Amino acid sequence: MSFLTLSNVSKRFTDFDAVKEFNLDVEKGEFVSFLGPSGCGKTTTLRMIAGFESPTSGTIRIAGEDITERAPSQRNVGMVFQSYALFPNMTVAQNIGFGLRIRKESEDALRERVDEMLSIIHLEQKGNSYPYQLSGGQQQRVALARALAIRPQVLLLDEPLSALDAKIRLSLRAEIRAIQRQLGITAIYVTHDQEEALSISDRIVVMSHGRIEQVGTPFQIYNFPETNFVAGFVGTLNTVEAEVLDSKNGLLRMDGVQFKTSQEEMKGRSAGDRIRMSIRPERFSFVTEQNRKDNVLDCIIENITFLGSVVRIQVKIAGVIFNMDTFNNPFLELPKIGDKHQVTCSQEAVMVYSGEASA
Amino acid sequence: MSVASRIRKFPFWSWLWFILGALYFILPLYATLDFSLRMERGAIGFKAYREAFADLEFLETFGYSTLLAVMTIIVSVTLIVPTAYWIRLRLPEARRLVEFITLLPFVVPAIILVFGLIRVYSSPLEIPFTEIQIGTPLTMLNIGRFHLGTNILIVAGYVVLALPYMYRSVDTGMRTVDVRTLTEAAQSLGASWYTIIVKVILPNVRSALLSGALLTFAIVVGEVVLASFLGIPAFGPYLFLLGQHRAYEPSALTFTTFLITWAAMGIIQLVTGGQGQTAGAH
Repeated sequence: MSFLTLSNVSKRFTDFDAVKEFNLDVEKGEFVSFLGPSGCGKTTTLRMIAGFESPTSGTIRIAGEDITERAPSQRNVGMVFQSYALFPNMTVAQNIGFGLRIRKESEDALRERVDEMLSIIHLEQKGNSYPYQLSGGQQQRVALARALAIRPQVLLLDEPLSALDAKIRLSLRAEIRAIQRQLGITAIYVTHDQEEALSISDRIVVMSHGRIEQVGTPFQIYNFPETNFVAGFVGTLNTVEAEVLDSKNGLLRMDGVQFKTSQEEMKGRSAGDRIRMSIRPERFSFVTEQNRKDNVLDCIIENITFLGSVVRIQVKIAGVIFNMDTFNNPFLELPKIGDKHQVTCSQEAVMVYSGEASA
Repeated sequence: MSVASRIRKFPFWSWLWFILGALYFILPLYATLDFSLRMERGAIGFKAYREAFADLEFLETFGYSTLLAVMTIIVSVTLIVPTAYWIRLRLPEARRLVEFITLLPFVVPAIILVFGLIRVYSSPLEIPFTEIQIGTPLTMLNIGRFHLGTNILIVAGYVVLALPYMYRSVDTGMRTVDVRTLTEAAQSLGASWYTIIVKVILPNVRSALLSGALLTFAIVVGEVVLASFLGIPAFGPYLFLLGQHRAYEPSALTFTTFLITWAAMGIIQLVTGGQGQTAGAH
């Protein structure tokens, strides 16, 4: 049986549905991220688990117990906020010990637990400091320690790294993951940063317009997106309109250029269907003797952008611009803008979706 | 750094406006002090202060007004803190309406307020559209020689007069510390409403509360209209009467009240030392 279960959870505000029929099972010790654009309902769902919002319908269970109607203070969930929310009038140690004091733990037990948490977040020397004396990253670590000190059944993190600068964000997200693994706590993490979700999670719940688009491991979400939205939201994607030419052999046509896709992608489609064809930039490569297989496409180099570890090359195929990513290395021989070349991608790289263009 | 660049960097206009502003406040105060020290012809001395303080009525009226101020502060805090907190937390849409209500004392003069209060509370409560009257008029409610009804009435009137200052101080304080997120953080840690208000919210709006309390104190101690029309022996009417018959003593007392106000501000600074920094660290 799952540790945290959300069954048919919906939330309607006065004039719109923030969350619709949300179903999710989270195992004990699992790290699950809610990923989606602003307004997709991820924070509302988290707040319903915390008890700050009441579901319009559905139930929320932790360890088999129905907590849907329970007050936030009675749920035993820890919460980490984007704005840290440390109590400014209390020292770091008092902040961490706040929840334990409410639970009337003895002074010795309280001091021991606070010391333990300070050591976990590597701020042993800062127990007597006030929040305003700490950097943003340190404040968020204290907020994490405060949430964990009460030994919550579930840890909820609401975009905890959004207010921090890029470097601190990288180190702190690794630290959060390490602490979560060390304590074996079940965690729900809300973010709109796909890289953050991909790097930190056991599973990702991609949301859009209050609905779950896909639930899967980061590998599944990135490599096998089930919807056009997921494909477009997670990672960079080339998306163009195309027509099914031969569904049996997986042939597509875009502006007179033929693409071949896998049989899997052609299920339920027939010749003449208008579809959206998507290819990730890193699935393209220049044609060599070794990789000349499914899709060999004539192109003109339009632009080259240096992105650090990756070089993004824009190629024009039959009048349509595609992005192609290649790993940077000091001996990389880059083509010149305006050169004619041939690029290729495997048939498995060509994903096919119905409906609207990706986000 | 060259002399020329130092001169260029001197914030001349900032200092000019600061000095002009300071003179605007300090000159009248200096004139009051200077006048109050010249009671004896051709000499500078504290005679006006000695005579003012020797008057028993001064001590009685000042003590009484201080008591009224303390009662007003207690009632204001009890009424306004939960209101402002709840509006920030659960009823943000009511904020404009409440802000409008808190501005009414600026629009309705105290003289209108006092006549309204006297008219409503000097007759028994009447059920609308009937002639049925219930209870005793509030102004007739006495305990021995103590005019309980009148005192309740004047404290209520002062709460209304101090409303704009107290509400705005408290509301600004709550905005500074983001009470909503702090409340949710405390709730998730298992805190009850009582713990949240006493341990989290009040300590973080302490500075704002004290500022509001100080303004309330200054308003109540110097108030004349309500106290005169309700016929109570407060410091405001005493100072007003004294000003009609004496020249130097009122100046001495005015300067003394300034000193008391400053002392109160100093106490606030001492009590809330570092609060500004702490409150900003969320």
